[in-house]
Amino acid sequence: MDKPIRTITIVGGGTAGWLTAGVIAAEHLANSENGVQVTLIESPDVSPIGVGEGTWPTMRGTLKKMGISETDFFRECDASFKQGAKFAKWVTGAEDDAYYHPLVLPQGYAEINLAPHWLPHAQQIPFADAVSFQGQLCERGLAPKQNTTPEYAHVANYAYHLDAGKFSVFLTKHCTENLGVKHILDHVTSVNSAENGDIASVSTNNHGDIAGDLFIDCTGFNALLIGKHFHIPFISKKHILFNDTALACHVPYVSDTSPIASHTISTAQKNGWIWDIGLPSRRGVGHVFSSAHTTIDEAESELRAYIGASRPDLSDNIAVRQITINPGHRQVFWHQNCVAVGLAAGFLEPLEASALVLVELSAAMISEQLPASRQVMDIVAKRFNDKFLYRWDRIIDFLKLHYVLTKRTDTDYWQDNCDAATIPADLQSLLDLWRYEAPWHNDFSQVDEVFPSASYQYVLYGMGFSTKKRATMRRSENSHLAEQHFLQNTQLTQKLLAGLPSNRDLINKIRQYGLQKI
Amino acid sequence: MPNHQLLDNITHKDLHIICDRSPTLGDAVSYTNIFLAEFRHVQGDYPIFFHKHSETGQFEAISLFGFATGENLFLDDAGWHAAYIPLTIERRPFLIGFQRSPSAQEPQPVVHIDMESPRISYNQGEPVFLAQGGQSPFLQRISGILKTIHEGHGQTDAFIQCLLEHDLLEAVSIKVQLKDGSKHELNSLYTVHEERLAALSAEVVATLHQKAYLQGIYMVLASMANMPKLIELKNQRL
Repeated sequence: MDKPIRTITIVGGGTAGWLTAGVIAAEHLANSENGVQVTLIESPDVSPIGVGEGTWPTMRGTLKKMGISETDFFRECDASFKQGAKFAKWVTGAEDDAYYHPLVLPQGYAEINLAPHWLPHAQQIPFADAVSFQGQLCERGLAPKQNTTPEYAHVANYAYHLDAGKFSVFLTKHCTENLGVKHILDHVTSVNSAENGDIASVSTNNHGDIAGDLFIDCTGFNALLIGKHFHIPFISKKHILFNDTALACHVPYVSDTSPIASHTISTAQKNGWIWDIGLPSRRGVGHVFSSAHTTIDEAESELRAYIGASRPDLSDNIAVRQITINPGHRQVFWHQNCVAVGLAAGFLEPLEASALVLVELSAAMISEQLPASRQVMDIVAKRFNDKFLYRWDRIIDFLKLHYVLTKRTDTDYWQDNCDAATIPADLQSLLDLWRYEAPWHNDFSQVDEVFPSASYQYVLYGMGFSTKKRATMRRSENSHLAEQHFLQNTQLTQKLLAGLPSNRDLINKIRQYGLQKI
Repeated sequence: MPNHQLLDNITHKDLHIICDRSPTLGDAVSYTNIFLAEFRHVQGDYPIFFHKHSETGQFEAISLFGFATGENLFLDDAGWHAAYIPLTIERRPFLIGFQRSPSAQEPQPVVHIDMESPRISYNQGEPVFLAQGGQSPFLQRISGILKTIHEGHGQTDAFIQCLLEHDLLEAVSIKVQLKDGSKHELNSLYTVHEERLAALSAEVVATLHQKAYLQGIYMVLASMANMPKLIELKNQRL
């Protein structure tokens, strides 16, 4: 069993396969004699599903670690800036019902919880605007940095919107040309077991058997290794998150000078919600909904009505693609010498862009804790499974949070979403607690939580949740300090509104001149 | 608003240019961009830095004249007190324009002038054209400067690109305390990273030397000796 881990075989390309390949190859020196050998087998017959056009700010670090130039990334992946999400019509469904979940933390988040100090002013100013400047930047279509800000550095924290198809091609090129990833274009025909139950190799049509010490399943919904070979059960979460179908389309801009939104716009519908993601060349728009609550035709007409609001000329003749989604994840992700990453591990509706970040987090943990020997792989596998089961649960809780706080009662869909039987117990306890205490750092146990307590604050107070004032005083509730932070936020908002270029302008400049590395 | 016109000896036949240096003539600037070819002259008077052009975000070399917008510590009502004045100041109010001609593929550089400049005159300063319409010695000198600037852009960009490739630039924050106790901070400036310069391989050093970049690099480092002088000039104005 004392077998060093020298070769990693990734089955499946797409953004999951190539991100994982890149992260591991960069850290484990796949391009050197003494590094780990990374091979990626990609079927020429299977086209990637191409979901996940929104990322988290973590993507900046991921790309940087892989040695990618942010300028190249912008130029080749049709990328734009994302500063958070705007949730429209989630609370009452009224035209002016909207709130922001920005990516910057509330002012002074390391030292003071501003939520209790904001609550008495809830009628005067939205929570996001009281504690951060980013909602205002989004509202004005501004970029999160200037053209003199170095690559990956920010003025306002940001993530990306990108074209997943172009991103895969871009990563393929970088991984194979610069990071030493071996690329095999072939179809996997069978999975071959070793005596101990590990995967010994996979057979291909034209390249024979390809061995590996560790196999990574990036075969998407197909789940060739973790599902079809190992039969690891799939845990459905449809009883919590009802949406199981998406209708996606591309919407062109009126002109090449039309503003590009620097945030994802999520607009609640009768039986689901519509995403609207602005890339430089087009918008990606899609309706994700519960097929138990509505029909494809109705969902499509809601989508076309949404498009019609901005492009009445196009709403009837845009091609719409249907995607079936199955919310949930594998019972375990790492089994024997095989770990599943991406859609093979599971999928949730893209409400908080959790797909690509889970790929990044998985790739990072595999890379950071890559077992040196098969002998200790099971220890790392257990850690990985514990960590990711926790993470999936927290993401599910956080997505559900958006639904349970609604005041909409216009359809069964919204009423069913608030049914106590569909709310995870952990989430329910936190909601109970938060009636008396604003979310804070100690509400979550991990140092590297996927969603910090700040995210819960933005959604809770964005959706009109109320936390009661404590009957007694506390020393740490320093109202003088809170006032200072509120004032600072007002000043910072004015300063940034005056100093930042429009999202479209900055992206044009990056494409024309590039950003500096320093 | 500038009014850029193509210079010609009919439209502009009586034109004169006031060559004095004065705040009223647009010389109150805190920096100007400079070219590799003039580094050796610039470093005799001014600190040389790099900064990012606000429009393009790309690096350019600059000589520093002051600590605040519009502050030129070398300038007073009696003139500009330095041995050397950078080319991009010297050229004013002339600039390079480009003209397409049927005979040439590429647009050709031609002399333009800003007719809104306070230097424009018809009775004082240097004549631009001779009585018969020929170029005055003054205009010939300006043409030479514009030609050097035109060539200097590409040359200096290549130099900076080379510095970036070898990771030789670093951001610096200049903190200055004046004798009245006030503190000033200059950000957004970059200079040569001395440790990385010292650590370059012999091979790279030889390449930099062949391109005459090594000289430029050391001119930048030597120019730092002008910082105390700049601070002293500021102190004198308190």
